[in-house]
Amino acid sequence: MTGERTFQKFKRLIPKKAFLLWLDSLRKDYKLIGPVKTGNHAVFKEVDSSEELFMEYGTTMLSPGKLFLYKPNEELFRFAMSGKITIDEIAPIAEKQIIIGVHPCDVNAILYLDRTFLGTFRDPHYEARRKNTLIISLNCTRVSENCFCSSVGAGPFLHAASGYDMLLTDFESEYLVEIKSRKAEELFGLEGRSAGRDEMRLKAEKEKSMKSKFKKAINVSGLDNIFAENMDHPIWQQTAEDKCLSCANCVMVCPTCFCYDLRDEMSMDLKTVTRYRCFDACQDIMFAEVHGGNFRQRRAARLRQFVTHKLDQTNQYGVFGTVGCGRCITWCPTGIDLTEITREIQKFKS
Amino acid sequence: MNKLRLGFFKYSCCMGCSYFFAYVHKHVPEVLASFDFVFIKLLSSKGTPEGPFDIALVEGAITEAWQVDELKMIREQSKKLFAIGSCAVIGGIPAIKATTPELDVEKRVYKNLSSIHSIKPHAVDAYVKVDGYIRGCPPAERDLYEALTSVLTGRKPDFPQYSICIECKLKGNICVLIADNMPCMGPVTNAGCGALCPSMNRACYSCFGPMKQANSPALAKKFKAMGISRDDIIRKFTEFGADTIEFRKAVEMVYED
Repeated sequence: MTGERTFQKFKRLIPKKAFLLWLDSLRKDYKLIGPVKTGNHAVFKEVDSSEELFMEYGTTMLSPGKLFLYKPNEELFRFAMSGKITIDEIAPIAEKQIIIGVHPCDVNAILYLDRTFLGTFRDPHYEARRKNTLIISLNCTRVSENCFCSSVGAGPFLHAASGYDMLLTDFESEYLVEIKSRKAEELFGLEGRSAGRDEMRLKAEKEKSMKSKFKKAINVSGLDNIFAENMDHPIWQQTAEDKCLSCANCVMVCPTCFCYDLRDEMSMDLKTVTRYRCFDACQDIMFAEVHGGNFRQRRAARLRQFVTHKLDQTNQYGVFGTVGCGRCITWCPTGIDLTEITREIQKFKS
Repeated sequence: MNKLRLGFFKYSCCMGCSYFFAYVHKHVPEVLASFDFVFIKLLSSKGTPEGPFDIALVEGAITEAWQVDELKMIREQSKKLFAIGSCAVIGGIPAIKATTPELDVEKRVYKNLSSIHSIKPHAVDAYVKVDGYIRGCPPAERDLYEALTSVLTGRKPDFPQYSICIECKLKGNICVLIADNMPCMGPVTNAGCGALCPSMNRACYSCFGPMKQANSPALAKKFKAMGISRDDIIRKFTEFGADTIEFRKAVEMVYED
């Protein structure tokens, strides 16, 4: 979220301990958010000290972008209705925050959310938080069972040019720190060793070795048309009947699903109404209910909507709706896998 | 503003919804300020069940013939009628007997059947049209306010019709079904409770009943694959929703299996 002004994109090797101490020194001005181990899972949440961080995590259930930038639940304004209507705006709350350890897929997901909330219509609440957030990405050190980011170019190493502030690569006892924004350049006070050609070669080797570890993949060529041509493929109805629960877990854990619902809650004295925004889901039967009917009455239609929005509609923003994080596969109670559905349809095509 | 006439009617249930309503009117004085409690057995023995009513709240399943007659009369006398609580909305606990022949159930409990006049249990909407469902056991507080304020302002009430999973994820709970292998009914259960049980690390047992178009056979299959016994799966889908089309499908599938 930095301007166009140039800054020095330097690279340094910093001992991990020193880097984490530097993070702690920022805590007087910033809220520090990062992956924390709870039970067998990692969760993004605010920490009091960098010692709580669990940087070796695989994936989290909820992505940091949909917890700390695009909020699950958010009050927008209140209005009173005694006689004439008066509106009481709620100013965007934007505490300064640093999100550390964001994997490449989740950074790409945040860039995707930017297209929605900072596109044609700018959302003031999202924008205020985005401007006050420093994103420190961390290239992946392990591949989880359902990851397929390498197939869609969203990982395991981050190649996005801008939109985040710092990129870390694990170099055993050190981090290779790459500065990606002016804000990060100004804040970063550590000297360390400067990284040269050798280190970048080592980084490329690490990326190559990571890429060989993927168990899941998807062939993305021609997907744009393949779904449109197979709207009535039997796989939709079959999966909808055998497996899909319409529970919307896929949508809720998806880091790029941006649909929201606006709801009004009225106080019992009828004097004030609070309008708030919360995540909505295309799997909810009421999602497509409009005057005169419901244009996605069938479960198969709702399932197809999710899968095609992730894999087909590159014409919406010019990129895939999926970042290949695999969360929708992991957290689907019946294990619906959009890569398998795609393979099924591709088989039919060829 | 003239107070609106409110009647609260109880059929076969534990009267928990009346208690809940009593609790709410104690804590939210505006409820008392806006409504005239014409009839509510729990709060006053003086009321008469005679209309007209601006709003009627009905709790309990319908399990006796006289209840049907009274319910029809109340419907005719009420501008708006809401089913409150799982018994009234889906049949609830009294409907557990719905899958067994009536006489068999009666014989299991009573020696002398001469004074027993029960009929097949059904939800309120099997007999009269309702204007909305305040789901849950106990009912959702937010949905009760929504029903009351919608009547006061003359708008259509907005009740959630999606799964518990949505509420659960909004709260950030780690999924107990997938992470802990618990047989959670959340994916097929209507929202409204705020994912209370999963937030306490317990599986949802569907006290809010099935959500619209719930695909319960698919979840029953998942439970089976998890190693849950046939009887336990049947119990899960008949504890509250034995009289619902959605959960009957799962039970039938398990029976046929």
